[in-house]
Amino acid sequence: MGYQLNFRVLSQYSDLFLSGIVLTGKISLGAMVISFILGIVLAIMRQSKNKIARRIAGLWVEVLRNTPFLIQLFFFYYGLPQFGIYVDALTVGIVALGINASAPNCEVIRSGLLAIKTGYYEASAALGFSKLQNFLFVVLPISLRLAFKPLTSNFVNLVLTSSVCYSITLMEIMGVAKTVSARSNRPFEIYLILLISYTLFTYAVSFIAKAIDKRIEIRL
Amino acid sequence: MAMIEVKNVTKSFQIQSFDESTKKYIKTKLTVLQDFSVDFDQQGVTVLIGPSGTGKSTLLRCINGLETIDEGDILVDGMSVRDKHKLKNIRLTCGMVFQQTVLFPHLNVMQNLTLGPRKLLGMSMAQATDKAKHLLNKVGLISKEKARHFELSGGEQQRIAIARALMMDPKALLLDEITSALDPEMTSEVLHILEDLAADGVCMIAVTHEMVFARHVARRIIFMDKGAVAVDADKDEFFTVHRKENERVASFLKFIGE
Amino acid sequence: MSVFDFASYAKFRWSDMVLIFRAAGLTLQITLISLAFGTLIGLLLGIVRCSKNQVLNKLPLLIMEPLRNSPLIVQLFLVYYGLPSLGIRMPAMTAALLTLSLNTSAFFAVLVHSSIIAVPRGQWESGYAIGFNKLQVYVYVIARQAIRLLIPQAITLYISQLQTSSLVSFVSLQDLTKAGQIVAQKTLLPFLIYAIVAAVYFALTYPLARVARYLEKRMGFTI
Repeated sequence: MGYQLNFRVLSQYSDLFLSGIVLTGKISLGAMVISFILGIVLAIMRQSKNKIARRIAGLWVEVLRNTPFLIQLFFFYYGLPQFGIYVDALTVGIVALGINASAPNCEVIRSGLLAIKTGYYEASAALGFSKLQNFLFVVLPISLRLAFKPLTSNFVNLVLTSSVCYSITLMEIMGVAKTVSARSNRPFEIYLILLISYTLFTYAVSFIAKAIDKRIEIRL
Repeated sequence: MAMIEVKNVTKSFQIQSFDESTKKYIKTKLTVLQDFSVDFDQQGVTVLIGPSGTGKSTLLRCINGLETIDEGDILVDGMSVRDKHKLKNIRLTCGMVFQQTVLFPHLNVMQNLTLGPRKLLGMSMAQATDKAKHLLNKVGLISKEKARHFELSGGEQQRIAIARALMMDPKALLLDEITSALDPEMTSEVLHILEDLAADGVCMIAVTHEMVFARHVARRIIFMDKGAVAVDADKDEFFTVHRKENERVASFLKFIGE
Repeated sequence: MSVFDFASYAKFRWSDMVLIFRAAGLTLQITLISLAFGTLIGLLLGIVRCSKNQVLNKLPLLIMEPLRNSPLIVQLFLVYYGLPSLGIRMPAMTAALLTLSLNTSAFFAVLVHSSIIAVPRGQWESGYAIGFNKLQVYVYVIARQAIRLLIPQAITLYISQLQTSSLVSFVSLQDLTKAGQIVAQKTLLPFLIYAIVAAVYFALTYPLARVARYLEKRMGFTI
């Protein structure tokens, strides 16, 4: 084989890669917060007695699940200026990714809500809790703990999906990889390292998540 | 005025069943309580007994506002269960413990006990903890304050549930077959706790099949049959006079092996 | 250009719509082919995962885990831009099909594995008790039950893979997403065009999502 693998060449770009990792982290964390809050709100809406709230949340989730993230991203990035709304790429990336990930989060939080037996509601009602108090002190904490593991896997997916944000000029890790591969002419090494790093990252996160999950485990 | 006044209450449930002949789901109305009236004073232990499906549990659930009543009214300390705004106070007046143990799974024992007083009675953490310790002592589980519900036996969970209800200083405890899901050994540990509480003068209204408990602890026994009060008597009177004279009481007691 | 500048909408021609529909055809084609291969490979990997041999059943993980735990876009670039360094060159279409197929197979294998192990232990035992051999138990007892769990989840996977196929636009294949970009740039009506493209994607997969939900309900159980 004529080709010599050379990973050394890449070390001169380490600063660039570091900045890419930082940006990926920023995008992902911001999107996580948005998707988590939206996920709870949507899950509540889907369980509510109000038909309109249920419909809106249902439509929201279906549209997001049945269209590609890339199109959603372009829609916000190129479409919003048409309304005179000019937002920087980073904000668009964070918000679009947050909205995108709100759909799966809604689903897992909702199944957490569904898993709660009426017995808990009755027990807290018998103590004198109002519906809101019951929800805040009993139902929500239980369902979030039930949803903890699927939520973390949603968040891992979110980090993987954030790589698509390079298409709107964000120099996160994937954008950096693209640039460096053009400059160094070492695409194979770069994408291989990226593949392995993402995999290791995912593994690390799910390892930690498993450990935490065991500690806060809830048995209904 | 009695503490709890149940006045001409009717309660029915919609039940759905499948009709084989027409292949359709049919809704039928099952009336559990029919024009039902009874009073409870804040004195000692009242035991509700009777065959299954006669509305004993439903009665307790209606008193605590967990079921809405169709007709009539229930007044707890003068507050109507029909008044949504009074519901919280009614529930603070009547603590309730259920057949299935429902400790909140995301909290440990101490947190289960202190959640209500802190959020509803505005108690400080220290106050609530003190009180919880006192009650845990009483139910004999002070060593388990950090335990989670799955580390406890069914009997222990039920004792914690009793303590949790007592944390709110209710005027009465409603006990809905709280030993039915337990094996005999645990049943007796829970009943011991109830006996202690009764000796302390805690007012209880209990649905139970434990006749030993009824004999030892009850002051008053209400025998319910087909959604109505069949016998409402003093304990001694019940086990002597009514057992001899009332055919239904006799056959029920015989049926459950008394 | 503002959305409310209605005269600008005249720039959007029927021929643009035709372009979008043609591209939807390519998206479907790429998706269907890669799903077919992905399903076959995934079935194989999933069954190997269920093997009792502790070494053999870990082998598929070697290929599955990187595929499931890294972005598809990285995989695609590794194949399309990276492999030529090793002298392995292929057209964009082949690279896209290869990557999507392998990616699908990894996810499908997980579904196969989890569906099979979800069948209660007793089913195996009662199968053997009748006198079936291992293969017969698989075919007559286990597969029949596992497949009911598998199908709704597989449809959900297929839907998400169709969305993911939008990433092939990065290797200059003119799929639905790429066509949207082209038309959006030409007409300067990104809001409208991406909404239309999103609607086409939605129309392609939403009926399937309904089917999956119906099956899930009718079969009465999910994992």
